[in-house]
Amino acid sequence: MDARRVGRARVDAPPGPARVWSESMFRDSRAAFWFILPALVFLCLFKIWPIAVSLGESFMQTSISGRKSFVGLENYAYLLHDDPVFWGSVRVTLLYSLVINPLAVAVSLALALLLNRRKWYVGFFRTLCFLPSAISLSVVAVIWGVMLDPHFGLANSLLRMLGLQPQPFLTSSGQALWCLMAMSLWRSAGYWMMFFLAGLQGIPQEVYEAAEIDGASGLTRTFRITLPLLARTMSFVLVSNTAFNFLTFAPVFILTKGGPMRSTNMLMYESYKSAFVNIDLGRATAISSMLLVVILVISIIELRLTRASFQY
Amino acid sequence: MRHAHRTHGTNHTGKMFGRLLTAVVLAALALVFIVPLWWTLASALRPAGSLYEYANPLTWRTFFPSRITLDNFINIFAHLGFGRALANSFIVAFGTIAMGIVVSAMAGFALAKFVFPGKSIFFFIVLLTFMVPFEAIVIPLHLVVKRIGIVNTYWALILPAVGNGLGIFLFKQFFEELPTELLEAARVDGASWLSIFTGIVIPLSVPAVVTVVVMMFLFQWNSLFWPLVATYSSRYQVVQVAVASHVTAEEAHWANSFSSAIAASLPPMLLFLGVQKQYVRGISSTGFK
Repeated sequence: MDARRVGRARVDAPPGPARVWSESMFRDSRAAFWFILPALVFLCLFKIWPIAVSLGESFMQTSISGRKSFVGLENYAYLLHDDPVFWGSVRVTLLYSLVINPLAVAVSLALALLLNRRKWYVGFFRTLCFLPSAISLSVVAVIWGVMLDPHFGLANSLLRMLGLQPQPFLTSSGQALWCLMAMSLWRSAGYWMMFFLAGLQGIPQEVYEAAEIDGASGLTRTFRITLPLLARTMSFVLVSNTAFNFLTFAPVFILTKGGPMRSTNMLMYESYKSAFVNIDLGRATAISSMLLVVILVISIIELRLTRASFQY
Repeated sequence: MRHAHRTHGTNHTGKMFGRLLTAVVLAALALVFIVPLWWTLASALRPAGSLYEYANPLTWRTFFPSRITLDNFINIFAHLGFGRALANSFIVAFGTIAMGIVVSAMAGFALAKFVFPGKSIFFFIVLLTFMVPFEAIVIPLHLVVKRIGIVNTYWALILPAVGNGLGIFLFKQFFEELPTELLEAARVDGASWLSIFTGIVIPLSVPAVVTVVVMMFLFQWNSLFWPLVATYSSRYQVVQVAVASHVTAEEAHWANSFSSAIAASLPPMLLFLGVQKQYVRGISSTGFK
């Protein structure tokens, strides 16, 4: 174990996946066609077509008699210029995303670092952290809804026991969104932790041994080695989480219906209301088309980031 | 990490303190994750009329019911049609899995082992659909499903989830690792592509199949938004919609909320605990390839 080990650890790292190129593939186009046909049909019918419909409808307006007319960008123009409710939703959705996404990365990473050790109790704690993500978001919303009940909920019972003021939680426009964030964090932290644990296990032990010989302390090693090597996992988690949280629907639908005072009226819920309560398809699809574009941009960034691999 | 105390020269008290801190943090963590779940279970097993009484003030009785009863569960099954909702969710999940595994594995096989014209376009479609989350297309999808004429049927719940970009992608990744020579040899022996696929490829890919099965099951079991939009009669009500419909602030409904939350969570939890290792390996591999 000398300085050469450092070099070795770097050289030994996989030089990128060995690509299987076309020499080792079959050239039977007809067979391939039959193999992809069912998937192609299903993807076109239920994914591509709806995307096209979303864009198409967003340029239309439906009159009371049910007749559709082409209105160009009018739906978008109205949303962007004259629709305070839409802008309220944009603000709520952005605030939610800007807080929950970095927080989720930080918490799940911290959990992974805490539980990345070989001890007998670790398996138990990992399962415990992951357990909420096996439950549906709707059930989590129901459980949290009862827990945060202002009069009889567990949260206020706890506050009273500690001699603190009971809180209105979901019934207050100042607190509701933060409650939804806490709920989302509770459910998803363990899920993303698993990605970080997988990432941590991919770091060769030699790197740490080398750093240790160089006299790096535990904290230095975490910040100078572990975190940079996890950059790829971090960007993956951040971006997946962003796409997921941008489309939050179930908790809003179940717990707050966008309220109080539109404080949790996220874009997905606003789009849903527009389509099924106010029956304004043009507005609904204009919102959902914008969401689609945003998600696609986020996903393209994701591809870029995860491809720009951090080599060690 | 193993030699930290030697090279780094931490003293004995420091180590003890570190251990104590870890223990405290772990204990707090366990409480945060387990208390809501335990409380839900304890409350679901308690007689319906006494829920508020034990929720506040907080005592040990809040978490340990003095009398355990299954009445709340019997109630949601006997009077609220929860059994029907569970059955519907199972039908939808298994229908999706049965069709989705075949469709995704076939497409993954073509992408992994064949060169064909239009391959890059097809792969682009797969990637695109893998990146567009289901929620983002729910509203236009509703228009499509209405157009096809399957709104308010099981088909409306099953078919849109069958073509799954992520599933295709996972199968492709897995099949790429299978030796092409093996398939070539079978081909030389005169085996048809179909028999190679069902007789060699699929039996060698059980881990990938398990991952995609679990993924599809959880997706369908947990979905709320699409079923809410695609079906309206109680005949087709799935489990999450049923759970969501029990939410009101009255005490009588608390009992329904608790018991339906537990009943709705048991199947995915049991499934998850059963295949935890394999599933976690499967999902976390999507982030790295």
